[in-house]
Amino acid sequence: MGRIPQIVVSSNLLERYQDDLYLVKGAPGWAAVVFLLVGLASLPFLLPRFGLGYLLFIAILMAANVIVAVGLNMLVGFTGLISLGHAGFVAIGAYASGLLAAKLGLPWYVAWIGAAAITAGFGFVVGLPALRLTGPYLAIATLGFGIAVYQVLVNWTALSGGRTGLPVQQLSLGIAGLTPTQQLYYVAVGAAVLLSWIGYNLARSHIGRAFAALRDSDIAAEVTGVNLLWHKTLAFGISAAYAGVAGAIVAQALRHLEPQSFTFLESITYFAMIVIGGLGTVSGAIIGAVILTLLPHYLSGLKQWLPVVYGASIILMMMVEPLGLYGRWIRIKLYFKAWPL
Amino acid sequence: MAAVTHLAQYLVSGLAAGSLYALVALGVVLLYRSSRVLNFAHGDIATLGTFVAFTLIARKLPFSLAVIGGLAAAALVGALFFFLVLRPAKEASLLGKIVLTIGLALLLGGTVQVVWGTETLVFPFPLSELRVYRLGQVVISEMNLGTIVIGIVLMTLLYVLVQGTKVGLAMRAVAQRVDAAQALGIPARRIYALTWGLAGALGGAAGVLLAPVVYLDPFMMLDPFLKGFAAAVMGGMDSLPGAVLGGFLLGIAENVFAGYVSFKFKTTMAFAVIILVLLLRPEGMLGRVYHRRV
Amino acid sequence: MRSLVRFAVALAVVAALGIPAIGQPAERGVTPTEIVLGTSMPMSGPASPWGMGVGGGMDAWLRHVNDQGGIHGRKFRLLIRDDAYLPPRAVANVRELVERDGVLAIVSQIGTANCYAVRDFMVESKTFWITPACGADMWAGMRERNRYVFITYPGYVDEGIYLTKYGVENLKAKNIAVFYQNDLYGQQGLLGVKRGVFAARAKGAKLVAQVSYEVVDVEVTAQALKLKESGADTVILYGAPRQSALLVREIAKVGYRPTLMATFTLLDPMMFALAGEAWNDIYLTSYMPVLGTGDARVDAVLATLVRYNPALARLSFNAAAGVSFIEPFLEGIRRAGPTLTKERLVEAMETIKNWDGEAIRGVTFTKESRQGINRLFMVRSERGQYTKLTGWYTYARKF
Repeated sequence: MGRIPQIVVSSNLLERYQDDLYLVKGAPGWAAVVFLLVGLASLPFLLPRFGLGYLLFIAILMAANVIVAVGLNMLVGFTGLISLGHAGFVAIGAYASGLLAAKLGLPWYVAWIGAAAITAGFGFVVGLPALRLTGPYLAIATLGFGIAVYQVLVNWTALSGGRTGLPVQQLSLGIAGLTPTQQLYYVAVGAAVLLSWIGYNLARSHIGRAFAALRDSDIAAEVTGVNLLWHKTLAFGISAAYAGVAGAIVAQALRHLEPQSFTFLESITYFAMIVIGGLGTVSGAIIGAVILTLLPHYLSGLKQWLPVVYGASIILMMMVEPLGLYGRWIRIKLYFKAWPL
Repeated sequence: MAAVTHLAQYLVSGLAAGSLYALVALGVVLLYRSSRVLNFAHGDIATLGTFVAFTLIARKLPFSLAVIGGLAAAALVGALFFFLVLRPAKEASLLGKIVLTIGLALLLGGTVQVVWGTETLVFPFPLSELRVYRLGQVVISEMNLGTIVIGIVLMTLLYVLVQGTKVGLAMRAVAQRVDAAQALGIPARRIYALTWGLAGALGGAAGVLLAPVVYLDPFMMLDPFLKGFAAAVMGGMDSLPGAVLGGFLLGIAENVFAGYVSFKFKTTMAFAVIILVLLLRPEGMLGRVYHRRV
Repeated sequence: MRSLVRFAVALAVVAALGIPAIGQPAERGVTPTEIVLGTSMPMSGPASPWGMGVGGGMDAWLRHVNDQGGIHGRKFRLLIRDDAYLPPRAVANVRELVERDGVLAIVSQIGTANCYAVRDFMVESKTFWITPACGADMWAGMRERNRYVFITYPGYVDEGIYLTKYGVENLKAKNIAVFYQNDLYGQQGLLGVKRGVFAARAKGAKLVAQVSYEVVDVEVTAQALKLKESGADTVILYGAPRQSALLVREIAKVGYRPTLMATFTLLDPMMFALAGEAWNDIYLTSYMPVLGTGDARVDAVLATLVRYNPALARLSFNAAAGVSFIEPFLEGIRRAGPTLTKERLVEAMETIKNWDGEAIRGVTFTKESRQGINRLFMVRSERGQYTKLTGWYTYARKF
C-alpha cells in the first residue's frame, strides 16, 4: 500500500471541535446537499422531456457501480487489503436477491436485505485467508474466489438456471404514476446515496480509524488493541454487503441474470474505478465509478476502437493524477477558494 | 492398465501446458521481484509479440528471424512502457501502477484487434502438432515435446543470466534495495527497463510456443496469463524456481483433474489448490518468508 | 460540507455530459429520405469475430442498397454500438438506440444472455427486432408479445434433432457423443441431440458421452481422451471454431476416428484453415446456400460485401449470415410502399411467403408465426470444400 496523503482544506475557520465533526458543514453545505438531492429526485422527470430517458438506465447502472466502488474502497483504500474478486460478491448478491424473491416469495426489500446479509457472510469467509495473505497472494486468492463463483453459477443449473439464466421479478414501489425504470431509479439512487452517506460516516467512526490503522501497519494496530481477526473480516464483510446490494440493483436492471455479467474483467474494472477515483476517500470511489461507467458507454460508437481509447484514457488519467482524480478536484476547489488571489 | 496409460497421457499434456505456464510465470515474477508491480498487461505484450512474429513470417522472413523480431517487439513494448509511462508516473502508488498496466492491457489488446483483426489464424511452426511419437499407448506430438524442451532451455538460460552474470547480479541488487544499488553505481533505470524487456520477451516466447498449438487470436493469452500469474503466486512471487515449479504443478494438476473429475470445475480446482497452498505457506512454496517488524 | 459538495459536482458533471443529444422527431427512425437502424454487437473482445462479421456484413449490404438508390427514395443509416458481449452494456446500448437515436429497428444482436436482457425492453418499446441470433426458444410461448419480432435463424434444438436423425438413418450412428461449449448455444445443441437420440432409440441409438469445454479454454486434450474412451462411433460438435478445430485435430492425434457431425455455425471456411486435413468428411447442416458450392447468387453477395469492406473476405461466413438476417426486413420495407408506418410494415412483412432473397431462401411470415424459416439441409466437407448432400428437411414451427 502506498501512502495516501491527507489534504486538509479549511473552508472557513472552525471555532469549536464540534464544528469539525459535522459531516455537512454550514449553510452552503446544506444548500449543496439539498440541491443534489432535489436534482437527483427530479432527473426521472426532466430527462424524458429532453428525450434522454435512456440515461435513467445508465444512472441505475452507475448507482450500482458507485455502491460497489464505495464498498471496495472500504476494503482496499481504508483497510489496505485487496480484492480482485468483487464481481463474485456482486453475482452472489444478484442471484440471492433474485432467488429469495422468486423461491421464497419475499417482498423485494426483504430479498435485498437478505442478499446483502448472505453476501456479507461470504465476505467474512473470504476475509479469513486475508489474515495470513497480503499483496499479490491475497489478490490471487480473491481472484480465485471470483472465478469459482462464476463457474459454480454456470454449472449449478438447479440453483442458478446456469446458462439459460434466471428471470428476476420486477420490483414495484406501488406508485402508479411511475414507470418501472423510474421506480428502480429511485430505489437504486436512494440506495447509492444512503450507502455513500454510511460510507462517509463509517470512515470517520472508530471502525474506519481501526481500518486505517490496519492499513498503515497491522502489527502496530494489533498492539494498540485493534482486533485483527474481527476488523479484517469485517472489512471484507462490509465491502461484500455493499457489492451484494449493487448486485440486487444489477439483477433488477437486467431482469435476467446470466453468469456472463460477472466475470473476472468486471472485478478488474471495479478495482480500476477506485484507484482512478482516488483510494481512501468515499468521494474518490464515487468519481471513479461514475467515470468508468460513462466512459465505455460514450465510447461504444467507436466499435473496435473502444478498448484502444478506453485503455489510453485510463493510462492518461493515472499519469495526470497518479493519486486519483479526487486530488484534481481538491486543487480546483482550492483554486476557486483562493480566487481572485 | 488403461488407467495407467491415461494417467501418463494426462501427465504429458500437463507438462506441455505447465512449461507454458512456467514461462508466463517467470515474466510475472521477474517484474514483481524488481518493482513490486503486478503486470496485468503481460499477456497482451506477449500476444503483440506473437502477432509481430506472425506478420514477419507472412512477409517471408526466415522463421528464426521472425521469432526474434517478435520477441524484440515484445521486449521493446515492455521497456517503452517503463520509460514512457511508469517512470513519469512515479508518484503513483503500487495499486496505481497496477491500474496503469490494466490500461496498457486494454490499449495493446485493442491495438492488436484493430491491426490484425479478431479472427482465429494458423501460426506456422517448424514442428508439427499432428506428427506424433508413441510410447506404448501414450502419444506425444512433436510440438508438445518441442514446447517442453524449449521451455526448459529458456528457463535454464534465464536462471544462468540472473544468477551467473553481472547483469543478473545488478538485477538482483536492484530488486533487493534500489537506493543502495544506485549508490553503488548500478544504473537502476536501465536495469528496470531491461527487466521489463526481458519479461516481455519471455512472454513473447510463451506466445510463440502457444500459438501453433491453440491457434493465434488476440485473446489466446487470456487464460494462460491468469494461470501463469496464479502459478507465480503459488510458487512464491520472488522466486524464479518457484515460478517454474508452480507452472508445472498447475499444468499437471489441471489436466489430471479435468481427466478424472470434471472439466467444468477445472479452473476452480486450480485456484482451490492455490489457496490451499497459500494458507499453508502464505509466501508461496519457495517464496522467502519475511519477518515483519513495526 | 466538503465531501457532499464533491459528490454534487460529480453528479452535475455527469448530467452535463448527458445533455448534448436532444430528442428526435415523431415517426421513429423514418424520414422521407432516411431510415435509421441500430444494433449492439460484440465489436471488441473474444466474441468480436461474430460482431465484426455480422455487423460488418449488414453495414456493407446496406451501403450497397443505398448505392442502388435505397428503397422508395430512402437511404439506410446503421448505427452499430459495441457491447463487448456484456449484457448490461447491451441493454444500455439498445435503450440509447431506441430512446435517443430513435431507430426504426434493432437489427440482429448476438449472444443469448444479451438477447434475454433486452427482450422485455424490446417488447415494451414496440420496436422492430430483426433476427436476434440467439436461441430461438426464447420466443416459445410469447406469441402474444412478439408482434414486432421477425426471425430467420434456426434454433439449435431443432438442428440437433435433425443432425441425430440424419446420423442414425444414413450414417449408421448408434453410440453418439456430443462435444459442446458450456453455454446456452452448446447446451441447446446437446438438448436437441438428446431428443433426437430419444426419438431414434428403437433403432439402437444411445448417448454415450457429453463432453463440454468452457469458452475461455484453449486446450481440449482431456476432452478428446474422454471421447475416445466412451467408444462413441459418432461425435456431434457444438463448439466454437477454435475449440472444434482443436478437438478434431486432437482426436486425429490420438488415433480415434469416429463419424463427425457438426452444427451449421462450423460451416465457416475458416475451419479448413484451422483444422487442415482433419476437417474432412464432416457432416453439417445449413439453413442457407453455402458459400462456394455453386450457388451463384450467394457468392455474388459475398463479392459485393468484399467490394465495400475488404476485411469481410476473412469473415465471409458471418458476413453472409448478416445479410441473411436483414434481407427479409428490406423486402418488407419494399412491400410496405412509400408511406412507411410501423403497422403497414408489419402487414407487409406478413405478406412474405416462401420468399427467396440473395442469401436467405424460403422465408415465410404469417400473422401467427414470426419464425421465418424452419428448414435445413445436409452438407459434407470434402477436400477443402462443401458438397450438398440432401434437399430441404422441414421441422415444425414453434412461434
